[in-house]
Amino acid sequence: MQDDTQPILEIDKLSISFFTRLREIPAVMDFSATVMPGEALGLVGESGCGKSTVALGVMQDLGVNGRIVGGSIKFKGRDLCEMTPEELRDIRGSEIAMIYQEPMASLNPAMRIGKQLMEVPMIHEGVSEKEAYDRALEVVTDVKLPDPKRMLDSYPHQLSGGQQQRIVIAMALMSKPSLLILDEPTTALDVTVEAAVVELVKDLGKKYGTSMLFISHNLGLVLETCDRICVMYSGEAVERGSIEDVFDEMQHPYTQALFRSIPLPGADKNARPLIAIPGNFPLPHERPQGCNFGPRCDYFEAGRCDAGFIPMEPVPGNDRHQSRCLKFKEIDWNTPIDVGAQTEKPEPGQVVLKMDNLKKYYEVAANALFGGGDKKVVKANETLSFEARESETLAIVGESGCGKSTFAKVLMGLETATEGEILLDNKSIGNTAIESRDTKTVADIQMVFQNPFDTLNPSMTVGRQIMRALEIFGIGANDNERRERMLNLLDLVKLPRAFADRMPRQLSGGQKQRVGIARAFAGDARIVVADEPVSALDVSVQAAVTDLLMEIQREHKTTLLFISHDLSIVRYLSDRVMVMYLGHVVELGSTDQVFAPPYHPYTEALLSAVPIADTSVEKKHIVLEGDIPSAMNPPTGCPFQTRCNWKSKVGGGLCEKEVPPVRMLADGHQIKCHLSDADLADMEPVIQIAAE
Amino acid sequence: MEALTWTGSLGTILNPILMVLLALLAIAIIAQMILGFFAPAQTLQSNPDGTIAATSGPLGLAETAVKYTFLGVLAIVVAYLVIPQVMPYGSAGIVGEMTKRFLPVWISLIALYTISIVYKRKLGLYGKLFDSTVGMIGFGLVMFWVFTALFVGIFDMIATHDYLTQVSGLKNKGPGVPVPEGTEGLIPHYLLGGDNLARDIFSRVVQGSVFVIAIAPLATIFAFMVGITLGLPAGFYGGTLDTVLSFIANLILAFPVILLFYLLVTPEIVLTGIPSYMAAFLFIFPLIFFGVLLNSRYYTQPAKRTAILVPVLGVLGWLYLSIINQKGTVIDFLPAWMDLFDISILVVFVSVVFVNAPTVFRIVRGLTLDLRTRDYVAAAQTRGEGAWYIMLWEILPNARGPLIVDFCLRIGYTTILLGTLGFFGLGLSSESPDWGSTINEGRKLLLIFAHPALPPAAALLSLVLGLNLLADGLREESLKD
Repeated sequence: MQDDTQPILEIDKLSISFFTRLREIPAVMDFSATVMPGEALGLVGESGCGKSTVALGVMQDLGVNGRIVGGSIKFKGRDLCEMTPEELRDIRGSEIAMIYQEPMASLNPAMRIGKQLMEVPMIHEGVSEKEAYDRALEVVTDVKLPDPKRMLDSYPHQLSGGQQQRIVIAMALMSKPSLLILDEPTTALDVTVEAAVVELVKDLGKKYGTSMLFISHNLGLVLETCDRICVMYSGEAVERGSIEDVFDEMQHPYTQALFRSIPLPGADKNARPLIAIPGNFPLPHERPQGCNFGPRCDYFEAGRCDAGFIPMEPVPGNDRHQSRCLKFKEIDWNTPIDVGAQTEKPEPGQVVLKMDNLKKYYEVAANALFGGGDKKVVKANETLSFEARESETLAIVGESGCGKSTFAKVLMGLETATEGEILLDNKSIGNTAIESRDTKTVADIQMVFQNPFDTLNPSMTVGRQIMRALEIFGIGANDNERRERMLNLLDLVKLPRAFADRMPRQLSGGQKQRVGIARAFAGDARIVVADEPVSALDVSVQAAVTDLLMEIQREHKTTLLFISHDLSIVRYLSDRVMVMYLGHVVELGSTDQVFAPPYHPYTEALLSAVPIADTSVEKKHIVLEGDIPSAMNPPTGCPFQTRCNWKSKVGGGLCEKEVPPVRMLADGHQIKCHLSDADLADMEPVIQIAAE
Repeated sequence: MEALTWTGSLGTILNPILMVLLALLAIAIIAQMILGFFAPAQTLQSNPDGTIAATSGPLGLAETAVKYTFLGVLAIVVAYLVIPQVMPYGSAGIVGEMTKRFLPVWISLIALYTISIVYKRKLGLYGKLFDSTVGMIGFGLVMFWVFTALFVGIFDMIATHDYLTQVSGLKNKGPGVPVPEGTEGLIPHYLLGGDNLARDIFSRVVQGSVFVIAIAPLATIFAFMVGITLGLPAGFYGGTLDTVLSFIANLILAFPVILLFYLLVTPEIVLTGIPSYMAAFLFIFPLIFFGVLLNSRYYTQPAKRTAILVPVLGVLGWLYLSIINQKGTVIDFLPAWMDLFDISILVVFVSVVFVNAPTVFRIVRGLTLDLRTRDYVAAAQTRGEGAWYIMLWEILPNARGPLIVDFCLRIGYTTILLGTLGFFGLGLSSESPDWGSTINEGRKLLLIFAHPALPPAAALLSLVLGLNLLADGLREESLKD
């Protein structure tokens, strides 16, 4: 029997370094953490803070370059660092299981699911094939996959991303481990699928009594899943404690800054803008003396904070709540946020862009090689109609496969519309491919891309890339003028002018994204399509990049089409929201209209799925069944009917037969649903902020 | 004059030491291998002071022994190379005299390595090469032959005798044989003996390097131009263009290479003009490549574009016409004063480019298929960039890593191909000193006299090995950061 008072995992003053040919890079320093039986510990921090390295250290899988240079990791009282490879092999997979970010990469594509699952108990416990199969079946049923027998017989590629991640979780649970390490398990999944997986992990943790180490960059997600939290910054734990203590009574300036930079409900781009953390994340070999967060901290005191090593100090009065700050007892943590520069909400001007019944269908030949056979039609965009005004932010929300990228391609001219029109200043451009558009039109509609590591050509200097855009748009008479203009653009996105001669690999993700923005505004773009511009960035950088976009928008009166799946940021910055599902616009209205009932059932689920990092927020719990249907094979009738929780309220199987008509609910608020007005009026708000 | 021994008086001291060290090294390596099976596995744990614990016990001892005996062997080898430089002629034997002949090459190599290692952090991928032992060895072997070819080809150094002169009485004589009094030559010995036409083998081998070093990289560059210019659009556009080009590439790859060579050099085929037309077709690609490259980059500034494009295309065009224009073939229209040079081995050149281009095409096509999905390509498209700009300026520079590695491997392959051509006597004169022909000459009496065939074979082997090691080093280093 396990002793409930003895910790499952005890990490004591752990330091991990990576050795490169230039220098030793300390990745984790003086890290301590304890996980008690049945407890879930969340490890939160920005990328590069060392949270994944801790997980790999626990697994003793640091690769050739990584070494544990100090401290110990005790698992059930035994030091993992002193075990032989055989002993470690025995523990990995049976006592400690790990779930990685990419489900497809964790499964062997050449092996049936059943075989992969059965391997675990067969190797670790030497059970018979029959028993292993039974157990696999049981676990697959536990992770709520439909038709478990068929699942065991299929190959990984036959399953969707969400199903694959469930299989990975099932595999981790096969041997009933005492510790489960989850390294960003839901980052690759869509929001509604993520909500279901998180729900599952929580339930299973309770059912099996497994302790969890949950690594995430998303504070909201940690709030929903964990009991305790540990905030990391630049290789060190800066604050740890129970969820309530840390969320409500934070005792470290970094934690505070982190919370101020995420768009919680109530934040508003004009009245209460986000506060980005100034400066940049220090590189591992450029860490400052003393407090790592010092140079970016509001409470920094020279001579004290940069003097030497700062230990973790317990916070009096709270249970196991500690902070790595010399001044946490002096800082008044309840000072109201210093509201930054407030700005006037700009009035939307005239209509710049108009979509009229836009349709985009792709024909996919069943037999790609000879082009014969039946042709399948993929309806990527179905009757899209909306208007966008000058200096307005229109958010386009939806999960993967909803057609938002196709829409962006048609607008940019990389594809032409199948039917319908796109009007730019009352001039039709929907059927003009980009080659035949004039330079002015091309320069007017520009795009900011999602992946900062992919948006810049890695073998061209930053300045060169912006100047190329200027050349193409015919701006500036000669290279000197263009260079001057390029430097002005760098000023515009608040990058130092010296960056002009740098290669993209020398820039951080947020800086690259700024260059991407500068490039988009090279030709004074009037419409900018921002395709998830901040989703790949760390929270503290997100706030800065978002604010930059807003500021440029205000100055240039740009129309911003903001594509995103993150409803918190959409709520924060957009004027109007358009919710898309499988190529259909299911709801369109002003931000307030969309975020308040009546909702479209899909919007309701989406709102409920977004994790919110605020303990005072109460959310209605709506979990959607199943996955998003494929656009190749959409359901009949309403596109959402396969997952809709409200379907039973509509009689006569209407949802399965007919695509619902567009209904106007209020001025400018439209919805595509069969629900009666009475049902819609019955809807309750999903998010409620508890009275303080 | 007496015949030279292999190591002369130097050998009487160094040879026994070398033998003992080699024996020790062999024993140590075997001991290490056997002990390795029984040694307990190590766990990763470093000492508190940051050092990592070394293996101890018999295995550790064996490891140390291997290390030191190997260093000892290396020191002796260096002694063989250095000491003869200060010894009088003949006293250091054949090995000593050869290292003396290669003195300019040694000096160049030392200079190159010193400069490169000092500035290696500023030299990008080339500098990183000097972090990898394998890469350094490979680069050293390659540069040895490159410098040899340079000094032989341009300054006429290193070689001791004329590579065509036959000296009576020296036919098939072994290494170190003295030449008769009054023979022209820098030294009174044939260092590596005489071949079956009584010519100096040493001089022929170093002379042969000129041929390989001049042709192999050039032919590979041409093959890359063809492969890149066709592979980029095939990967970028896909569809029918891709299908057609890939099919043609497969067709060429499916045809036996040797048979193709035989066909190309058959006098009847040469008379029909097929090789000349092929040359005209294949060699136009660099022109297209550079034309499109510069035009797509500068078309927004017509004045600048013209100023750059006209001279570049002019020079390239002239070179192109000079290359394809051959006296006595179907393409012979240039007036003699305009024809810069006649390449006697045009057929060899064409064949090598022809068989290499399809493989390059496939590599480039594959890389393009991958890179065209990147956001920066989409960004270029959304600002209305032309397709060729995207291919040549956005995609190609980012495909350079794998292409550089393949370039090194392909030079090695081309070297072997040239050897094969020479071996079969295809397209080359019978007295050509290239390594393939020389090996073929030596092969005929191989059982009686091995010494004429071995030096060119060793030369070919070391160059190709060097290129392969270089490619390995580059690949390894380009993956690290």
